Amino acid sequence: MMPIGAQEIYDLLLKNGHVIDPKNGRNERLDIAISKGRVAKVAKGIPAAHSRRVVDASDYYVTPGLIDIHGHFGADGVNPDHNSLRSGVTTAVDAGSATATTFGSFKTTVIDHSKTRVLAFVNGDPGPLAAKYPEIVVGVWGAAAGKMPALGDSLAGLRAGDILTNIYSQAEPPLAEARKKGVLLDTGQFWFRVAIPALKRGLLPDTISTGMDKTTLLLPRATMTNVMSKFMAMGLTLEQVLERTTIGPAKAIRRPDLGSITVGGMADLAVLELRTGKLAFLDSGHAKLTAGKELRCVLTVRNGAVVWDSEGLSLTHWRDAGPYSNFK
Amino acid sequence: MKAIHQRASEGLPTRAAGWRARPGAFAAAAAGMKSTTMLLLFAGLVWSQSRYDLLLKQGHVIDPANRIDGVMDIAVAGGKIARVAANIPAGEARKVIDAQGLYVTPGLIDLHAHVFGYSGSLNPDDSALPAGTTTIVDAGGAGWRTFEEMLEGVIRPSKTRVLSLINIVGHGMTGQAFEDNVADMDSEKTAAKIIERRAHIVGIKTAHFGGYGWAAIDRAVAAGNLAKVPVMVDDKIFTLTGRTSKEKVLSKLRPGDMHTHVFNDRQLEVVDRYSGKVQPYVLEARARGVLFDLGHGGGSFLWPVAAKAMAQGFYPDTISTDLHSSSIMMAESDMPNCISKMLNLGMPLQGAILRSTVNPAKAIGRYPEMGTLSEGQIADIAVFRLKTGVFAFKDAWQHKDLGTQKLESVLTVRAGDLVFDMEGRGFPEWDKAGKYEVIR
Repeated sequence: MMPIGAQEIYDLLLKNGHVIDPKNGRNERLDIAISKGRVAKVAKGIPAAHSRRVVDASDYYVTPGLIDIHGHFGADGVNPDHNSLRSGVTTAVDAGSATATTFGSFKTTVIDHSKTRVLAFVNGDPGPLAAKYPEIVVGVWGAAAGKMPALGDSLAGLRAGDILTNIYSQAEPPLAEARKKGVLLDTGQFWFRVAIPALKRGLLPDTISTGMDKTTLLLPRATMTNVMSKFMAMGLTLEQVLERTTIGPAKAIRRPDLGSITVGGMADLAVLELRTGKLAFLDSGHAKLTAGKELRCVLTVRNGAVVWDSEGLSLTHWRDAGPYSNFK
Repeated sequence: MKAIHQRASEGLPTRAAGWRARPGAFAAAAAGMKSTTMLLLFAGLVWSQSRYDLLLKQGHVIDPANRIDGVMDIAVAGGKIARVAANIPAGEARKVIDAQGLYVTPGLIDLHAHVFGYSGSLNPDDSALPAGTTTIVDAGGAGWRTFEEMLEGVIRPSKTRVLSLINIVGHGMTGQAFEDNVADMDSEKTAAKIIERRAHIVGIKTAHFGGYGWAAIDRAVAAGNLAKVPVMVDDKIFTLTGRTSKEKVLSKLRPGDMHTHVFNDRQLEVVDRYSGKVQPYVLEARARGVLFDLGHGGGSFLWPVAAKAMAQGFYPDTISTDLHSSSIMMAESDMPNCISKMLNLGMPLQGAILRSTVNPAKAIGRYPEMGTLSEGQIADIAVFRLKTGVFAFKDAWQHKDLGTQKLESVLTVRAGDLVFDMEGRGFPEWDKAGKYEVIR
């Protein structure tokens, strides 16, 4: 316990970033102080001198760590840290790589090895796994079974509160019917040719996910910031996109502890840059959409630690660090 | 010491493209089958007019093997480089890519990466291809006991060309206890596996050995002599091992053998840590043909070493990443990043491309079969943008340096297929794309 009135010393301070935190209704320039892996304070004018490490976030947006509820991280899938953390995703949910039988090896080879918080929709009935790993198993892949939410790409078998993914794929699932039924709509793999007309009809997704796997990371380049940029290019605002990648997915997987910047909560954060330029994106069917803006993740904080920092914002120049210093 | 190699099998597995087979997708695929067949028939009629499958137009080609350093067109047909010339008509190709303002190079060869066995291994396709790397050499993940598993699990299913520097340890890179076990370092069995799998195994790796004496390096070199392949060494030089880097590079390694982690400070001491000068014995080793490989990794690219060595003109012979799940994060050690670091430390772009294509191909005895844009060779091509501005680059100690040039991967062609295209240069706009076809 700190003595009353004593000033806390922070491990990390993100100064002057434009904070967008849909759950807490924040959309303004604020400082975020982090201590012992937790968000310690969110306010204006937190003194830089009170933190061991300070990041000037003036040029960037600061958001809750993003949540991707549809990726493939199993033996035939992709590496979550490499592809998720680097685009601001701090929670990545695997869509059905593990069955009740293979979950053990998925846990030891992927979940326990990753800095990303990897959660799972288990393929088929999870059985006793759900009770054994309530903090990891968030639902069932395929069709509904038991009380947990299901994630599937066919509406048949999904109930209110379940999640339909790949909603703008060439299979064109019945979105209006799904929404009427109370099923949540998740992007997953998608085609501009299907998404653009659907968005015009007002059929916006409830959650934006990547559906990333070995194929979609190549031509469609389906990382989270890439997919968010695509939805902004199709007309969604930055706020709309962030709602669907933070609080939206947290609700969908029934994890209210995730997807916000809340004092006392786990410090999972993304620092994003909105770049302008002449850009173009490919969809899952390899068609192109030309755009003028793009989101990039410049820094990711996971559990209070900087795990990705493309601009070196949190780092010391080597000439100031002593020629042979190995201290971080 | 040039090894006689059989030609690598270039047959790529046919892959279910675009869409993962899963419940629900089958019905959609079946419904689309008929129209796909029709389209292919129709397209076949149109495309039969084209001599080339792919044409990269007006890029600045850097192809050190052919002494090309200027604006050229490159045509691809049947998975091979068909023609490199100043002006190839756009009408002769099915797909034309405008590469103006971009650099076009042979697909990069990453001589030291991790895609099997090691706990931090990555998947080759999503780590290599988006970085312009078309050939990845796994450095010691598999040993003779585990190589077949790597062949079936990683080499054959990957679009990236994956080669192996097989570990002298039979169990491969599976942890310190295994890697220190001299009893599992069998030169004969290792050599036999190499001879059996010459298409895939290009040399031997000895790594992380923490025991006393020279057994690991000696046995790796003995296997190298039996199979006529080079050895790549990464090795601790703490005094308790009874080894010195001087003896290692002057009398243990043969001409053509490689020392990776060149800008490390504890496996090799390229720069004297007190005087800041490049060690004379390192220059002597280079003169006798020992190669020095970058092998950036999570602990082996240090600004104080790299900056001093490069300022004295001591450049690595080959640029490689030592890519694994940790080095890809804060240090961001993919090939364009490693090349950018070299550029900002004074290496010309042409020299950096030479050290990422021709030199690694030669080091593994695969030149000129790999690392060139010569007509008739497999079409592995990388396209880059050289950005100018102020950029941060980070070393393995998580200290930064600032540089003004950054190489960015824009497009990758592997065996004639467009596999990565960051800006959609090879594909039509969505509203002109036809509704239900995956565009090739």
